[in-house]
Amino acid sequence: MQLPDPSFLLIQCLSGLTYAMFLFLIASGLSLIFGILRVLNFAHGSFYMLGAYLTYQFVSYFINSPAYFWWAVLFASVSVALIGGIIEMLLLSRLYVREELNQLLFTYALVLILGDFAKIIWGTGQLSISRPAILKGAVQIFGQYFPEYNIFIILLGPGIALLFWLIMTHTRWGRIIRAAALDREMLGTLGVNVSWLFTVVFTIGAWMAGLGGALVAPIAAIVPGMDVEIIISAFIVVVIGGLGSFWGTLLGAVILGQVISFGILVLPRLSMVFIYILMAVVLILRPWGLLGKPLKR
Amino acid sequence: MPRENWFLVIIILCLALLPMSESRFYIFLGTDILIMGLFAVSLNLLLGYTGLVSFGQAAYFGIGAYTCALLMKKASVAFPIAFAAAAVFGAVAALIIGFFCIRLTKIYFAMLTLAFSQIVWAIVFKWNSLTGGDNGLIGIPFPQHLDSPTRFYYFTLFVVVLSLFLLRKLVNSPLGRMLTTIRENPERTEFIGINVKKFQLIAFMISGFFSAIPGALFGIFNHSIFPDLLFWSHSAEVLIMTILGGMYSFFGPMVGAAVILYLRMLVTSYTQYWPLIMGTILTLLLFFFPGGILGFLRSQLTFLKRNR
Amino acid sequence: MFLTGGGALFGQPAKVGAEMAVKEINEKGGVLGRPIELLIRDCKGTPDEATRVARELIAKENVQFLVGGLTAAQGLALSEVAKTEKILYIAPISKTTAMTEPGKLHPYVFRSAANTNTEGRSAAVFMAKHPWKRIYTIGPDYEYGQMVTKAFVEWLKKLKPDVEIVAQGWPKLGEPDFTPFITAALGKKPDAAFFSLWGGDFVNFTKQAGPYGFFEKVKVVAAGEGGSPETAISLKDDLPLGITTNAYDLFYYPDTPEHKSYVERLKAFTKQEYPPSWAITGYIAVNFLAEAIKKANSTDTMKVIKALEGLTIDTPIGKQTMRAKDHQANRGQFWGTTTKVPEYPFPILRPVEYIPADNLMD
Repeated sequence: MQLPDPSFLLIQCLSGLTYAMFLFLIASGLSLIFGILRVLNFAHGSFYMLGAYLTYQFVSYFINSPAYFWWAVLFASVSVALIGGIIEMLLLSRLYVREELNQLLFTYALVLILGDFAKIIWGTGQLSISRPAILKGAVQIFGQYFPEYNIFIILLGPGIALLFWLIMTHTRWGRIIRAAALDREMLGTLGVNVSWLFTVVFTIGAWMAGLGGALVAPIAAIVPGMDVEIIISAFIVVVIGGLGSFWGTLLGAVILGQVISFGILVLPRLSMVFIYILMAVVLILRPWGLLGKPLKR
Repeated sequence: MPRENWFLVIIILCLALLPMSESRFYIFLGTDILIMGLFAVSLNLLLGYTGLVSFGQAAYFGIGAYTCALLMKKASVAFPIAFAAAAVFGAVAALIIGFFCIRLTKIYFAMLTLAFSQIVWAIVFKWNSLTGGDNGLIGIPFPQHLDSPTRFYYFTLFVVVLSLFLLRKLVNSPLGRMLTTIRENPERTEFIGINVKKFQLIAFMISGFFSAIPGALFGIFNHSIFPDLLFWSHSAEVLIMTILGGMYSFFGPMVGAAVILYLRMLVTSYTQYWPLIMGTILTLLLFFFPGGILGFLRSQLTFLKRNR
Repeated sequence: MFLTGGGALFGQPAKVGAEMAVKEINEKGGVLGRPIELLIRDCKGTPDEATRVARELIAKENVQFLVGGLTAAQGLALSEVAKTEKILYIAPISKTTAMTEPGKLHPYVFRSAANTNTEGRSAAVFMAKHPWKRIYTIGPDYEYGQMVTKAFVEWLKKLKPDVEIVAQGWPKLGEPDFTPFITAALGKKPDAAFFSLWGGDFVNFTKQAGPYGFFEKVKVVAAGEGGSPETAISLKDDLPLGITTNAYDLFYYPDTPEHKSYVERLKAFTKQEYPPSWAITGYIAVNFLAEAIKKANSTDTMKVIKALEGLTIDTPIGKQTMRAKDHQANRGQFWGTTTKVPEYPFPILRPVEYIPADNLMD
């Protein structure tokens, strides 16, 4: 077999990175919620789906404004964050005293409810919006085209990661959140309002899922079922990277993106199986994930 | 004989008389409920009795279904042998997967069972030449003598009653009491010198065994099987049945299966939004009836007795 | 109202067409003096659910006929239910030849849809008209994608032995991210590509491939109803122009009185300015069934099967015949080139050509 052209390999790698950054955006919200609240949020994919549908909706409201897409992204992701926050405050928070199974099943109930809710409002057909005018084109990289929008996503992913890292390490809120991940009872006795903290964390997590959905809307069909599709990939990412580990999530997303991207070149029909095999190997050797920490409880 | 046993005998008699109704539909629904009910009770051996939340139980159901169907369809193995092999395969798969899962606790355990079941699903989904891939296996031959719905119903009833009898013996045995002790406090059980992991693994294996049996039955009943049977949403569905009926009573999951399947049949005649309704039921259940239907009835009963 | 001339279950897209057909038939007095009752169930796109609801309809509602199923897997699953329950089943959408091939064919299954041979081979006919040598194919990795791609490749090689298939992409059905497939395809520098992506997959691929200059570099022949007005309406300017693609039906073509009248009725029925193209699938299937019952003068399954074999009916898109030998309708394919026209705010197919199935489907 002849060696492929290096510029082709680079483009293929960038292709994988685009998807990886979407996955990172969504999975890091999932991982954040799990890290602090110890809730495995099945509804995270539903928030992502709502983000996409709401972007479609807001685009039609703002269509006359020049920056209509960005307004739609802002409004859609914030709406999803609010929906998430309200659900946490009114419902989920009442289940913390119960066994984890109850929280798990409640988020699964949300998947069922929100999925049908979207079908009732937006129907079952595929919806679509265009890329924003400013990012419609493509740039040339070693003679190959690469879409500007994908470059924007590839840069945005690490940007958000960096922002979060700064917040976590350099602000009081960040320190509280990190402390909460270690010992929430202790934090309560120190006078921190833990239930408020949980709401904030859940809202941020939901916002990230909503943002992921909003940003995917211009390059994908908005269809029922996108919620379940993404939640599985997001689970795989956090399982590989380590549940609750921020950098692990980034690593997991990048690995998954690249395995898919190059997997289809080697064995086109089995790239999905690669992913599951990778997951199995990680689970067997390090059940807590590549960068996660084993937890006693 | 205790009152509860008399009650059971009456229920089994009623179930045995069901085909007298001559309604194809009730035989169909009855078979479905018995199969899913046994699946839910098997799951509950882990969930309610051992305190292990398995979110991937559909894998063992699916392994049972595919083992039995493949042996009969592709290797022309006689039904009794294929059926027994299905249960054994379920147990072996559970032993292997359980070996890795029991090293973790709580939510990590749930995640791992989910991940492994998705791996099994992916294999079934992609192994076209063996499993038919996403087209599934269609046209599973009817076993001899079981080719009418009524006969198959009686066979299912027999298998389910026998399995439930064995499972009930098990949970009331010293082993069963050990599992409950582990559920209540795994650390303390460990301190008094008991190998908790070993008992958890045994429970996991038995649960896999009894989850594969309804799987094998389902393949014959449905005549076709598809990879969806192993998908995580199927695991979630059986979990909901278990919780709805009540995970702290032996027959709770059976009741939950009956209620869900009956409701689904009613609701889907009127609307396609069954998931919405199921989600709502689940939410109400979690907030208002955490003990499930049987748990609720039992607490009402004790309340009445106390006030008498 | 007393019980029933027939029953059906459906995937979403064809439902409206079947509903309209049933309404029209019942307004004219039904069949054999009785109205047809349509029982609709959602089979959620999975063969598992299709099997369950079909068996439930048969056991609980005593339906006599089944119409429906979307994917190939659902078609195969429903065919099996029909066989074991001895119920007549008409597949309006599922195209895989596996349903009607020897060994799988049984008396109870009929198909009013075109088959994968017709679709794949008519695409090959278009492809062969051009001097393109290096061909890429991409299709969803399941029965339909595999069968239609196989039909396309075999026919193209027969028409033009010197073509080379440079690579094949097999994304999963419902793939959210096609970018690795797009760059991998471009890396092979094909002259032309054959798609069998449908619905959301087609929308996803086109949107993601546009900025790579895919449609400037590679000529595209797209099966899987990429030319449906539904797709064009949702994609608008993101639908690339100049690609050759097909559709079940086009509200602007053919320009016959029967079709115009059908479109007007469908507009009124759906209250949509641009009525859906998928409706024709359900519409034709129900009409086949109704005509067969009339001809048999009975609702007895075996008699209706006999009547359906070789039956020719008038449809809005011309005469259709259900062949006796393999229970396959001679349904052809509308093909055209995506073009921007001033009349509509989205691209349409122009010119459109109807490729008959008779020489292609076997």
